[in-house]
Amino acid sequence: MNAMPAARPARSPEPAARAGPGLARSAPPRPGRAQGDDGRTRADPARPLDARRLRAGFQDLLGRPPTLAERAEWSGRGLHELLDAHLGGEEAWRHWFEEQLYYFLLVDNFEPGSERVRAIPADLARGALDVRQALHRVAISPAFDRRNPGPDTFVSVVLEQLCGITVQKQPGELEIGKHVYDGGEGRFLGKLASSQADLVRVAVEDPAFARTLVAREHLRLLRAEPERKDLAAWSRAVHRDPAEFPGILRGWYLSEAWEQRLDLRVSPPNRLFVRSLFVDLVDRLPSEEETRRMRGALDGLSDPGPLRSVLARLLIDSGQAPVPAREDIEDPTAWIAGLFERLLGREASPEELRAFAVAFRDPACRPETVLVALCSHPEYQRF
Amino acid sequence: MEAEPHPTRNPSARRGLDRRALLSAAVGGGALALPGLARPRPARADRATRRVVVVAFAGGVRSRDTLGAEGSVPFLEEMASEGVLYTRVRTANLGHFGASLSILTGVAEPRGIRENARGPSPTLFEYVRKDLGLPPGEAWIATSGGTQQTNFSHGVHPDYGARYGANTLDGDGLFNAEFRDMIASYGRPRSVEGRERELLAQMRASLGGGEGAGAAEAAAQLEEYVLGELARGTADIRGANAADAKALRVARNLVAIFRPTLTGVVLQQADVAHGSFNAYLEVVRRNDAALGELWNAVRADPELAATTAFVVVPEFGRDADLNARRGLDHGDGSDDLNYVSAVCWGPDFRSGTIVREEVGVVDVCPTVCDLLGAQARHTRGRRLPRLYA
Repeated sequence: MNAMPAARPARSPEPAARAGPGLARSAPPRPGRAQGDDGRTRADPARPLDARRLRAGFQDLLGRPPTLAERAEWSGRGLHELLDAHLGGEEAWRHWFEEQLYYFLLVDNFEPGSERVRAIPADLARGALDVRQALHRVAISPAFDRRNPGPDTFVSVVLEQLCGITVQKQPGELEIGKHVYDGGEGRFLGKLASSQADLVRVAVEDPAFARTLVAREHLRLLRAEPERKDLAAWSRAVHRDPAEFPGILRGWYLSEAWEQRLDLRVSPPNRLFVRSLFVDLVDRLPSEEETRRMRGALDGLSDPGPLRSVLARLLIDSGQAPVPAREDIEDPTAWIAGLFERLLGREASPEELRAFAVAFRDPACRPETVLVALCSHPEYQRF
Repeated sequence: MEAEPHPTRNPSARRGLDRRALLSAAVGGGALALPGLARPRPARADRATRRVVVVAFAGGVRSRDTLGAEGSVPFLEEMASEGVLYTRVRTANLGHFGASLSILTGVAEPRGIRENARGPSPTLFEYVRKDLGLPPGEAWIATSGGTQQTNFSHGVHPDYGARYGANTLDGDGLFNAEFRDMIASYGRPRSVEGRERELLAQMRASLGGGEGAGAAEAAAQLEEYVLGELARGTADIRGANAADAKALRVARNLVAIFRPTLTGVVLQQADVAHGSFNAYLEVVRRNDAALGELWNAVRADPELAATTAFVVVPEFGRDADLNARRGLDHGDGSDDLNYVSAVCWGPDFRSGTIVREEVGVVDVCPTVCDLLGAQARHTRGRRLPRLYA
């Protein structure tokens, strides 16, 4: 494959190179250092994790906001450090994997249950699998077959979801694929195939697979279509070596495009909302059961906003959320300011702070009322 | 082609619920607040119809297994005998999602089978709400296919979109025993009242970017309805067609409680046919019975009966022949796949009429809009012929 000039920027110039000396990746302490010297620079990082980047970074990378302990650990450090620590880790791959299952609508009754498919995040994290092999494994799973029964549906979904092909515009490929699905031989996407498994293999090995993957992941993460030239370069890189994909992701996180994405707040997927709600209010992740039930209900609404507010109120009033007693809040203004940063990922404006503080002085306003005001507001329901 | 009288059928006695029983069942879970329910303004002075229920009898259902097999769908047969039956309705094999969407938009455009995104064209909900100036509570859609089908509420056309969309409720996703039990385990949320409510509103208002009073009211209405519906029996519905039956039950309760101008229902479970022809027939039979419950609820209420129209149509049919698993796929290009039957019933429609002229599923949207006095500006369909009395 040819050189890929635009793919290299995706692997991102190291923050150190971009921002000057002293901003390199954090490193373990080296022998010979003075006691207490952990090797980290004391200079400001190029992309410091302020309230906004910290919340959005965790949500994009791990599908949840930071816990209280993680906030304490990561506030003010560099985004690149967070990427060093988590991008490519099992939790990040688990989040990516769940997003893929959603893309294929392999949820609820169609969620893959086989150990082989469930092991995908761990296998990706230890480098035993790349993204192409991971999606191939998904598409040959019994769950995928059950979700897309029959030749017409199966072949259509393989062409549409894996290769981004509109089957109505290429009816010939659909017909060949259906013939192959039924055990016949045919030249599917230009390659010989003679089984259902061949259809999937040929599809993921087609250049259109890499292009479709890169385009949709770019849209998901950066909320914008990629430039055509960049898409071509990144696609070539992933097609040639799918192990390049994490490097491309890293470049996206450290790009101006991700900074711009921070201003494009959209309604989060319900799965992200449920996880965020639990971490924000209870400081733990919901169980799989809690996630599934809440997410399933929210997914049943075209506008889940009202039900999201109900769930927030439920959790706040359930006794599970460790809400401080009114008398334990020594500095209400500081407490409220902290909630703005933690729940909304931004500082409160002076007017907002004043309005909340005035309201809180009224004996009828409980600490829970403040939490409800924030968590039921549309701003909390965007990320 | 001429319309012709329907062959003699003997409409059975109207079965099912009376209004008292229905309302009792519908509100049995607790008092239901109905804040600010605006009545639909009369759409067209020359028509009696004030409400329309559109049922996408979807999942891929052949005519020969429904109205073509006498006695298999007694309620649909009865509805057809009292209304207009279109025997040759052209469909587009766009996958369930795209084909069902084409019923609602009047535009048959390719959509990915697993595409989880809104379409570019406005839906009939948007046309009607915008042209008639209706609030959100006047358009609802009950579905059974999960997250993807919430996209049916509205499209992304710049002149329409979310502000004119329908409230979408997925029956099985929302109203299931697991979710109900989980809610119960947390306890109902404490109600915020009096001074605390004022303070809450003040804090929320200070955040800005909030919703208007109408949206807040609609949200409160939806919240109240969802919590109330969880306490009713919908979550306990079981059986081969449970998700479809829940969608139809939700629609029944919505029609009885909110009496909206437009109610849509999109079914899905007939698609079990891929693996089992017999299971498919069972789903079709049960869905007909659930549809009958909805229809009877309307007929048992004099006001609803005099002002409500139904349009029932599958999104497409299925293959002519069984597959190797003794099931039925959808992709052979046969007339069984490409043509379905549609039934229209309502106070302004002809009775006992069969129309054999070719029409399309895309004609449903402009027909419903015309019926209510709205204009489907971007549809590629036309009004159904020989419909009005």
